[in-house]
Amino acid sequence: MKKIIAGLALLSASSVAMADAPGGPNCGWGNMLFEGQSGLGAHIIASITNGTSGNNTFGMTTGTNGCSTSGTLTYGGKSMVSSIMGEFSEDVAAGEGDAMDTVAVIYGVEKQDRATFAKVMHENFAVIFPNEDVTADEMIASIEEVMKADKTLAKYIA
Amino acid sequence: MFNFIHLSLQRVLNCLPGIALLLPATAFASNDIELRDSLINKAEDDVLWEKIEWMNLLHYNKENDGYLSQVDDVRFFYASDGSDNPRSELLETIKNLFIEKDDHNQQTQCRFVARTRWLVDQLDIDTRTLPVVRCDEYLEWRQLVQADSVTMVFPAYHLNSPSSMFGHTLLRLDNSEDARTDWLSYAVNFGADIDNSDNSLIYAYRGLAGGYPGIFIAEPYFKKIQEYNRIEHRDIWEYKLNLTAEETERLIQHLWELKTINFDYYFFDENCSYRLLELIEVARPEVELTDEFILTAIPVDTVRAIEHAQLIESVSYRPARATELQFILEGLSKQQRDIVLQLSEDIKTLDSDSFLRLSQKQQKTTVDLAYRYLRYLNTETSRDPATAKRSYQLLQKLNSYPVDIDISETLPTPLPPEKGHNSKRTTLGLGQRLTNNYAELGFKMSFHDLEDNKDGFLQGAQINIGSIKIRAEDNVGLRLYQLDFVDIFSLTPKSSFFDPLSWKIYTGFERQFTSNKDQLVYHLSGGAGGTWEIIKNHQFYALAIGRLEINKQLKNLIEPAIGFNTGFLSHFKHTTAHLQFSGEQFEDDVYRLRVQYIQNFAISTNHSIKLSAKHQWQDKDTDFSDINLNYQYYF
Repeated sequence: MKKIIAGLALLSASSVAMADAPGGPNCGWGNMLFEGQSGLGAHIIASITNGTSGNNTFGMTTGTNGCSTSGTLTYGGKSMVSSIMGEFSEDVAAGEGDAMDTVAVIYGVEKQDRATFAKVMHENFAVIFPNEDVTADEMIASIEEVMKADKTLAKYIA
Repeated sequence: MFNFIHLSLQRVLNCLPGIALLLPATAFASNDIELRDSLINKAEDDVLWEKIEWMNLLHYNKENDGYLSQVDDVRFFYASDGSDNPRSELLETIKNLFIEKDDHNQQTQCRFVARTRWLVDQLDIDTRTLPVVRCDEYLEWRQLVQADSVTMVFPAYHLNSPSSMFGHTLLRLDNSEDARTDWLSYAVNFGADIDNSDNSLIYAYRGLAGGYPGIFIAEPYFKKIQEYNRIEHRDIWEYKLNLTAEETERLIQHLWELKTINFDYYFFDENCSYRLLELIEVARPEVELTDEFILTAIPVDTVRAIEHAQLIESVSYRPARATELQFILEGLSKQQRDIVLQLSEDIKTLDSDSFLRLSQKQQKTTVDLAYRYLRYLNTETSRDPATAKRSYQLLQKLNSYPVDIDISETLPTPLPPEKGHNSKRTTLGLGQRLTNNYAELGFKMSFHDLEDNKDGFLQGAQINIGSIKIRAEDNVGLRLYQLDFVDIFSLTPKSSFFDPLSWKIYTGFERQFTSNKDQLVYHLSGGAGGTWEIIKNHQFYALAIGRLEINKQLKNLIEPAIGFNTGFLSHFKHTTAHLQFSGEQFEDDVYRLRVQYIQNFAISTNHSIKLSAKHQWQDKDTDFSDINLNYQYYF
């Protein structure tokens, strides 16, 4: 299991290359909740030939793209969690879902602890998402605070 | 951490028994010319380059008397004539196995992992005789792709997303140890590598004509879920393939060889679907999937090809967010639907009597749906502070209900697209027009009429490309009756929640009786309007139409007209009935009005009988009818 997680954390690096960087020129994690889809026209055109214009086409990234790498997650892990922020907020509100499981996997939470992860996240909705203007960076910091405070989940926050 | 890396290297090594990735130095000189030459001789004796595996790995196709690789990139070949000479490429690859490079990642063993492995197996190469290398880049990447099985993914069509017209396919590399990680699986995609500076017209032209190189792209699957399920409202079909771990390994190794390698990309044939089939052929050389895709690789036919080759282990359905929303809304009472709508517009609805009277479970469902609906509306718009606030408040409210109030709904799985009727169609019919009896022969390249058997297709979505009808008439003889290039008719019902546009675009040659002369005319017609569902499976539509016609009997060379197109479409289990009224008024005083009734009876998936009756009125000319009965076969 551990190796899957580490692999995934690396894999995730790819997501930022294609993602917009709404939070500023340096880092992609300033995105807020409920960000709409900007550039839909470009999206439609691009998907006609199923094209890409990113230069990272194989899921491999080096460097940190100007983002801070403090905390538990790698650059790739953070960019991935921030990419599914909207889906994750829904799952935290509801208490379960694919995005909830995915974030648990990114944090390396073992199968037997995922129900706890879901429960703890659900109970701390107001901490992780204090308002609609919360950024992905703030959300990630809160997820880690909440995990650290839980005796089962603390071990995943090194 | 160190331990973990060590373990996984071990694992990769186990998967590549024949390759020296990290072996201790040996006593052999790595450029052992004698050994190299004996391997070359053996390869020559066995005519190794004619084997199907080599053809697949280098993407050679038979071309005239020789071969030509589909890869358009010198970095993919060692021999200068490698792109059209399988023999010299194979011999040159063997020579390169023994050439040491400063950067190990550029060594043949690291750069062309699948090729190397195949040669090692075929020629019985003792890997200790090859240069000792550390394939860091490959191992790092292999570490990311924690996969041992492959799933083919088919996002179904959605007419109001023009790019999805023919669907699209991709491969997902899965880890069977932990199914919950499929959001994080690698999705492999073949697509055009687009130059951002092009405007969309150049883009469209270059995309279709092959002006962009095609490359393989790998990204986490959740990106695709977001793209298809959420933004484009397309259901996704997932076909788990029965490739073994070894076959999967071969596919992944070959994928590495194709990293940043350019192919010529053509929208219509050598497109995403075609290339994915080639990858599967590399994984399992015994199957032949690409031969029948000479002209068009329609993605659903790709699925049929893998089904025919018995590659499918299981099928699963991932409905679009909008599909779920619509399904759950349809199950509610009108009253509860109204509350959902109100709540999505005004958060104070939470305090209203009508909301508070609902049961806890109904309340939770209502809040969830109002939230989903708000997000649905926000799909294509930029962030609006008021909407964001209301969305957040709905999530807060949703969070306040106990988790054990289960509001999840399982959607019934519709018939998968590959189980629908086949893409091409031929028809044979008899009829009468303008008092002439006739026999009619028809052929259609693709794909689906409104009246065709709807199982496996999107209801109310007509997409036809390339259709021809030839008639043998009494007193006239054999002649072309109709030649359509494009005929798209999209009817998506409106409701209090959804407000889609219905539209039509239609162009080609057809026979028109104008000023007492019956002749072929060319037309371009298009229009827009709305569709309303009277009861489920029964729709009414009305569109305003514009038309340009090239008809010698009319005043202008290109004669414009305005018109309308309206009708009723009723789907029953085995039959579809369509009553249509339409008409146009030309700038020249000519007008036409017609009523048409079509009923199609499905005998089985690929056979049907179609009855069509039309009556047309027009000034200056007498009115006339066209009635026919056709047998239709889809293949």
